[in-house]
Amino acid sequence: MAMLEIEGVNKAFGGLQAITSLDLRVEKGEIVSVIGPNGAGKTTLFNLITGVYRPDSGNIQFQGRSIVGKKPNQIVDLGVARTFQNLRLFTNLTVLDNVLIPQHHKLNSTWFSAVLKTPAYRRKEQEMREFALEKLSFFGPRLMSFRLYQPVYVLSYANRRRTEIARAMATGAKLLLLDEPSAGMNPKETTEITQIIRRMRDEGGYTILLVEHKMNLVGEISDRVVVLDYGEKIAEGAYQQVVNDPKVIEAYLGKRVDDDEGASPEEPGLPR
Amino acid sequence: MAADVGVKNKDARNTLLGFLGIAALVLVLLFVQSLATAEDPLRGVAKFNGALTLFAIWGIAAVSLNLINGTLGILSLGHHGFMLIGGYATGLLILSEDARNRILVSGRSTMTERTLGLSVHSWFESLGLDALTTDDTLWLRYLVAIVVGGLVAAFAGLIVGIPSLRLRGDYLAIVTFGFGEIIRLSASTRLFAPLTNGALGFPGVPQRFASDQLLWPFGLLALTVFVMAKLKYSSYGRAMEAIREDEIAAEAMGINLAYHKVLGFVIAAFFAGVAGGLWVSWLGGVRLDFFLFQLTFFFLVAISVGGTGSITGVLLGTALVVFIRQYGDPLEQSYAVSTWAQLVGVVFLIAAGAVIVYRSARRVRPRVHPVVYLLGTAALVAILLGLVAPSFDFWQETFRGFGMRAIFLSVLLIVIMIFRPSGIVGRSEFSWAWVFGERRDQPTEEERAQDAWLTNPELQRRLAGDEENLHSIDGDSKGES
Amino acid sequence: MSGSKLQSAATGRNWIPWLVIGAILLVIIGRILYLGTISERFNAAFFTRAGIESLKLGSLYALIALGYTMVYGIIRLINFAHGEVFMVGAFLTYFLFSGSPYSWPVAALYGLCIAYGFMRVLEFWRGRLTDPLVLVGGAVALLVSTLMLATLTVNLVFALIFSMLLTGVVGITIDRVAYHPLRTAPRNSLLITAIAVSFLLQNAGLLVFTNRQTPFRPDTPINNAFSFTILGGEVRTSWLIVAIPLITTVLVVVLTLFVNRTRLGKAMRATAQDAEVAQMMGVSVNRVIATTFLLGSMLAAAGGAMWGLNFGSINQPAVMGILPGIKAFAAAVIGGIGSLPGAVIGAMVIGFSENFLTAIFPRTPDFRGITEFKDTFAFLLLIFVLLVRPSGIVGEDLSEKV
Repeated sequence: MAMLEIEGVNKAFGGLQAITSLDLRVEKGEIVSVIGPNGAGKTTLFNLITGVYRPDSGNIQFQGRSIVGKKPNQIVDLGVARTFQNLRLFTNLTVLDNVLIPQHHKLNSTWFSAVLKTPAYRRKEQEMREFALEKLSFFGPRLMSFRLYQPVYVLSYANRRRTEIARAMATGAKLLLLDEPSAGMNPKETTEITQIIRRMRDEGGYTILLVEHKMNLVGEISDRVVVLDYGEKIAEGAYQQVVNDPKVIEAYLGKRVDDDEGASPEEPGLPR
Repeated sequence: MAADVGVKNKDARNTLLGFLGIAALVLVLLFVQSLATAEDPLRGVAKFNGALTLFAIWGIAAVSLNLINGTLGILSLGHHGFMLIGGYATGLLILSEDARNRILVSGRSTMTERTLGLSVHSWFESLGLDALTTDDTLWLRYLVAIVVGGLVAAFAGLIVGIPSLRLRGDYLAIVTFGFGEIIRLSASTRLFAPLTNGALGFPGVPQRFASDQLLWPFGLLALTVFVMAKLKYSSYGRAMEAIREDEIAAEAMGINLAYHKVLGFVIAAFFAGVAGGLWVSWLGGVRLDFFLFQLTFFFLVAISVGGTGSITGVLLGTALVVFIRQYGDPLEQSYAVSTWAQLVGVVFLIAAGAVIVYRSARRVRPRVHPVVYLLGTAALVAILLGLVAPSFDFWQETFRGFGMRAIFLSVLLIVIMIFRPSGIVGRSEFSWAWVFGERRDQPTEEERAQDAWLTNPELQRRLAGDEENLHSIDGDSKGES
Repeated sequence: MSGSKLQSAATGRNWIPWLVIGAILLVIIGRILYLGTISERFNAAFFTRAGIESLKLGSLYALIALGYTMVYGIIRLINFAHGEVFMVGAFLTYFLFSGSPYSWPVAALYGLCIAYGFMRVLEFWRGRLTDPLVLVGGAVALLVSTLMLATLTVNLVFALIFSMLLTGVVGITIDRVAYHPLRTAPRNSLLITAIAVSFLLQNAGLLVFTNRQTPFRPDTPINNAFSFTILGGEVRTSWLIVAIPLITTVLVVVLTLFVNRTRLGKAMRATAQDAEVAQMMGVSVNRVIATTFLLGSMLAAAGGAMWGLNFGSINQPAVMGILPGIKAFAAAVIGGIGSLPGAVIGAMVIGFSENFLTAIFPRTPDFRGITEFKDTFAFLLLIFVLLVRPSGIVGEDLSEKV
């Protein structure tokens, strides 16, 4: 049973076909990258999986269960969490709160026992805190100690990205959808986040679906790469194989007029 | 382990200090109450007592509104509607049998009409609350009435909360306002007249438990603050704050928007109903014009001026609003026009000065805004005219400052919104850690050094000398450029 | 892309609105026929009268609703204070024609407000508030408006024109003082400020105008009685049933021409689409916003004056603006906020629901009638429209995008 199985999904906005009969399978423990030029429908794909949009047709199954038509929070309950391309953190709350909030849906105390602080609720709260610290410690000491109590708006951009990834992990999800985890990071930080994503899979046991523009990151960690263009899957396979695919090159750079010219597609950071 | 012990000690200290603080407050209140029974020809203590009661009642309403406006981030303008429902319910339940009979007898009353096949009168008799008339048992009746009032209001909150599932922002604000007005406008119709006695309302609600004893209002205020504070710092409160910060992200993090929004509305409406019950008891009767939109506006001022989302701030804001309402009446009396002119002149001068100070502090150019010249000139002219006024007849006329307190509150709200939108205390709450200057979000010296090392690649390169990493960095930067 | 989106949405279910309209018409005709059989009182004249009263009321709401919809279209603000601007317009008109002008200090205070707004207008022309010409203009405006408010008694037409101009400037002043500093603030702050301004104006009205209901009966021929017969029944009314819809139509046509045909109107439409981009394209957004407030407030002032004419008196300032204002806002939302024709359509819907609906469900022996609920119709309609079709009858969707 695949972790995530997308079959023949279509999505149109008015006259614009954003996703055309897309098939995608993600196995447990895989890191799959979705790449493609701007407007290729990568973020729409994420929105479809997480229930922000409802597909016009087709089926999306998570661990064998269809998640079409479910609300975003129900899909999180099942075990799919995401990060956002343009950072949607709870800006005025502290880092710790940001990582505690996604655990709320697992809480089984009523609001009344939360107000009365019953022992069961206290225990649960302690557990939530420990779980949050565990997820934050994936990023080394960067988000620990005093940073826990800082509001997100004082954090650097890279730290916000890290907090968002930690927040998605804290939902207790098995499948993480990371929307450009390295956007706005410098090369050093990108290298670090690459290692962390790999560790998330190896140590944390997460399955990861990733949208990314930085090709060196994609090439380094992806088990499989899926290329979208105008909502259609034009290539799928290992990184080396995909980037040499003439259709992919055409999608990124246009048709070659002169065969001698044209940049090497492996060049990192090109499709910005 | 040492750190853990430190935390435990600090917790114990904070609890102790909290109890001491509350005990001190209670002692002060008891002291004031003992004064109120003594001779008081100028009614100073009575007035102060009234202000305290009003503070407690409005505090309950404002703190509960803060759950919707501050914690949940939904601008709700229908709080007077919840208070109305709670007020009418409580009022009906604590109305003594005599008072009820008097209303029924008075010919203009519509309360005799039957609805749903039974008269209101017999319905109340069947509740059996009339048996509770002695001093020993009356408190139980009050308690039942208050709780029922709260529950009825909470049910209204459930209904009003439902549109919040589909609407956002200012549209939702308008819908809550619409609900508040619908509640108020329908209470005067014949459909509800058997319960509300139309627009006239009914007098004779026992005043005792809201005015004589500060115990009831302050006890309930303490309960409200307790519930709201615990809720705010619980997982549920965090979820609500997440909704305030970013609804889409909150939903993507597994938070059930519908449940938490409606929960917020229901809890807030319950306490609004409680406040409404105390409010009618304090006023000694129920009338439609006790529940104007004005009330919600006052709470809105209290919340916005004090600090949106901060219970401490809201209480502070309520104190300010109540102070202006109770002690601002000199502003609304008649004075000679020249006096008013001088007053306006002084206010303009202060405003001009404030603008200059503000702009200097923020280093905005030009320091002296053109408007300041205008204000200053107008102020000087007004003051001069006030000085030469004895020579002119019309300056001797008196002028009554009708509505001056409300004007003051509105101007205050506008100024706060422009210059300090988060309110006086902002989002922060009172805490002993803050009193003792203990901040957890500041790094220690050691941590600061570590942090500098982490965030400065130059430093890290020199210290670690990680050749491989260096290489990839160079490659990357070439690729990016 | 958006064009095709609209089209496909329209072709998908364009029978629904017709069905709704048909059902409503059916109910109305059915009720009229039924009522005709049970009592002599419900004859053609009765319903004609109700119809023209609704038209009149709808026209008044339309004048206020246009201000709401224009301001919302440009700065996405529910201008809560617009109902109070309407009140100010009515009272300014009253004091100009009634022969009981202001006392000097109050006139001076008002003059100050008006002069400030006028200087802000002149600032667009000269560039600086401290420019000598602007200062001179402000001083002249202060003197003239103070003199005018303290001494002038004119006939109704001039009173209406002056009051429209003065109220327009009051609108600009409100924008500059209260809303302008909050252009980048969260929308909730802006709305709270608007509520505060509304409250301020209500109480300032109590302070400077009066604190009781005021008769509003100028000596004009349009107040004269006017009657005609229809199907054997006589409809007794006044010339106002002609005057109010006529003046409203003229003002709405002028406004539409202004928005569609002039440069400033084009700038307004551009700003409504996207203020930031409009600014980058060289549109002076502040000037556009000031114009919007000016026009909206002028229409509200006309509405206020005619409201007084229609009812023969105006309520005390603290309550006069609230209900008409909020109902007009409901009208703007029902029609589709941000759209000028939508505001007029919505206002007619509210006008008819308030007057005509109570006429076709009147008090009969076995039914109490729904007159006492008529103030809640606007709110119920508002909530219904917001829940079912937030974009209103003709408007486009302004909701937040993910």
